[in-house]
Amino acid sequence: MRFNKYLLLLAAFIAAPLTRAADEQELPKAGTLMDRYIEVTGGTALYEKRQSEIATMEMEVVGRGVKGTITRYSDRSNNSYSTGQIEGIGKLEEGVYNGQAWEISAMMGPRLKEGIENADAVRDAMFNSALNWRKLYKAETVGLEKVDGEDCYKLTLTPLGQGKPQSMFLSKKTGLMTKISRTAVTAMGEIAVEVTATEYKPYDGILTPSKLVQSVMGNQIALTVQSIKTNEDIPTQRFEPPAEIKKMMAK
Amino acid sequence: MINAHRLVVFVSVCALSLAAVELTPEQRKLNADSFEYAWATIQKYMWEPMPAGVDWQKIHDELKPKVEAAKSTDEARSVMRQMISRLKMTHFGIVPGDVYERLDAAKPSLGDGRAGFELRIVEGQATVVSVDPDSPAYAAGVRPGWRILRAAGADIAELITKLRSVFSDTTIKDMLITRAVASKLGGNPGTSVAVEFLNGADQRVKLDIPLIPPRGAEAKFGFLPTQHVWYESKTVGQTGYIAFNMFLDPGRISTAFGDSVQSCTSCDGIVIDLRGNPGGLGAMSMGMAGWFINKSGVQLGVMKMKSDTLKFTVFPRSNAFTGPLAILVDGLTASTSEIFTEGLKDLGRARVFGSTTAGAALPSVFEKLPNGDGFQYAIANYISAGGKPLEGIGVTPDEKIELTRIALLAGHNPALDAALAWIKSQSKATKETSKP
Repeated sequence: MRFNKYLLLLAAFIAAPLTRAADEQELPKAGTLMDRYIEVTGGTALYEKRQSEIATMEMEVVGRGVKGTITRYSDRSNNSYSTGQIEGIGKLEEGVYNGQAWEISAMMGPRLKEGIENADAVRDAMFNSALNWRKLYKAETVGLEKVDGEDCYKLTLTPLGQGKPQSMFLSKKTGLMTKISRTAVTAMGEIAVEVTATEYKPYDGILTPSKLVQSVMGNQIALTVQSIKTNEDIPTQRFEPPAEIKKMMAK
Repeated sequence: MINAHRLVVFVSVCALSLAAVELTPEQRKLNADSFEYAWATIQKYMWEPMPAGVDWQKIHDELKPKVEAAKSTDEARSVMRQMISRLKMTHFGIVPGDVYERLDAAKPSLGDGRAGFELRIVEGQATVVSVDPDSPAYAAGVRPGWRILRAAGADIAELITKLRSVFSDTTIKDMLITRAVASKLGGNPGTSVAVEFLNGADQRVKLDIPLIPPRGAEAKFGFLPTQHVWYESKTVGQTGYIAFNMFLDPGRISTAFGDSVQSCTSCDGIVIDLRGNPGGLGAMSMGMAGWFINKSGVQLGVMKMKSDTLKFTVFPRSNAFTGPLAILVDGLTASTSEIFTEGLKDLGRARVFGSTTAGAALPSVFEKLPNGDGFQYAIANYISAGGKPLEGIGVTPDEKIELTRIALLAGHNPALDAALAWIKSQSKATKETSKP
C-alpha cells in the first residue's frame, strides 16, 4: 500500500486507468477480502511477529534512464525513514516522526507535510498497515474488474481521518493485491497514481510484491525489491529527522 | 528539452533534404503509421481541447489522404509538419530520420571543445559578448564587441540571414541562430577553429582559436546527453552575483546556490544571471525560489497537463533572503529559467533586466516514429503566477536592455550595470527611510 511520493517529482505524463464495469453478481464483503489478503500473504501471526522492516529497492523511471536506490526503515513506533539516491538528482530523504511527515532534498529543500498529505504519510507509516486496516479505513467492495487480464475485486478504502478514498484491487483467484489507484495529495497538487503489484515473494514468510510499478503523470516508475530485512534492531535515532527539519518542527 | 533544442539546431544547420525516391508499399505504410502515431500522441497529451482553435479530428481527416498519397518520405514529412504547424506551438516537430539517427554519432565528432568566448546576435550580427580571461582566445586579443564574420569556412552573416528567414516568426530565433553560429565554433578540445573577426577598430582579423575543454563538471540525467554544468558566485561591491548555465545536477548546483544566498545575508541585493541558461529540471526552480520567499502557499505557476495540473509550489526557507533581487535574462534564457524568472517577477519578488526570453517553457519528449523520423511533442502547458503563458511569449524584462556593440567595446555589461544600479537605489532608499 505504500509508495514513495518523492517519485512523483520525476513524473511528466498522464496515465488513464482502464476499468471495466462490475459484473452483476453478489460481491464478497470487503472485510472478508481484506482478511483473506492477510491470510494468503502469511497470516496474522506472522505479521504480528514482525517488529521492524528495512526494505531496499531499486528504482527506475521506465524508458527515461533515471535510476536509483531507496531504503526504507520502519518499525512498530509507526515512525519511518526513507533515503534515496537518484542518478542526476542526488539524495532524497523523507520520513514520519511522531506523527509529522517531512521531506528534504537538495533540489526542493526541507519541508513539513501538511493536511491530507501529512495524514496520508502518517497512515502509510503505520507498521503492518495491512493488518491494521480497520484502524485506518472503511472498506467497501464495489465491483469486479480485470487487472492485466486477471479478475479482481475492486475495493474502495475510505480513510477514517483526513484523506481521499482509494481503490484497491484484490485477485479473485489468489486473494493477492494487484493494483491500487489513488489520488496523491501533494504540495504540488492532486496527482492520480496507479500502482501495480506483481512478482510476490516470501520475505520471512510474508508474501510481498517484489515489483511495484507506479504510473504517475504518464511515467512508469518501477520499484524492484532487493531485500527486506525484518526484526532488525533499528536505533530510534534512525527515525529522527535532519536538523533543518527538526528546526521547522520546533517552530 | 535540452535534447530538443540540439536537434532543432542540428536540423537547421545541416538543412538536409532527401532526394525524392519512389516509395515502396512498405514505406508508404510506415509513413501513414507515423502520421497516425504523431496525430494520436498529440491528441492523447494535448492539454487544450482545441489548441489555436483547430479541430484536431478535422485536420486528421484532411491530411491523412495526403500522407497516404505522398510520393516520397519528404512529402509525407511535409504533411506531418503541416499538421503540427496548425497547433502554433513550439516543442512540436518532425526531424528527418537520417538526421535523428546521425545526431548522437555526429555529436562526438563535433566535439565538446569551446572557443573560450560567448557570442550573441547583437544588432543582427554574431558578436562576442564575453571572453574567458584564461582562454587562448583572450590571449590572442579577442574582446567583447568583436564581430564574427567567418568561422570554420562558413559565412556567418549568410548563415544568420538564412536562419532568420526560416525562423522569422518564432521567439526562439535568437536561441536557434546563436546556437547555429556557435556550432561553427565547435570541435574537439586541442584542435582549433579558423575565425575571422571584425575587431574593435573595424579591422578584419583572422585567428586560429585553439579549442579548450568545456566549462564545468559533467552532469547526467537519464538519457539526456551528458552536459557540462558550471556555477559561479561572487560579490560585486556589496551585491551578490550568481550565475550557472543549466538547472541540472541539483546535488551540486542547488546546494551551491543555497550556500551562496546564505553567505550573502548582509548583501545589499542579489543578481541572478540567467542569460544563456536553457533550463533543465523544472523542480529545481521551486527549491531555488524558496531562498527568496519567506511565506508558504506561494506558487511560481502551474503546469497544465491533460488530466493533472502540477503547481510549481515554492518551498520557503526559514532564512530566505528578503533584500532586492535582480534577474538577468536574454533570448537564450529558456524553459526552467523562464519559469523561475517570470514566477518571481509575477510574485513581485524580482526585477528583471535584459532582453525578452525564448518563450520555450513546454516540457517535451522525443520519440522515433515508425518511418524512422524523430518526433518531438510537448506534454503540458505552463502558466505563470500572474496568469501569463510563457510559450511563444517569453519573459518581458522590467527593464529592457538590448546589447550594443559600442557598449560591449567600451567594456560595459549593460544589463548587469542596470541591475546593480537598481539594487544600489533600493538600498539607498531603504537607508533613507530608516533614518530617524
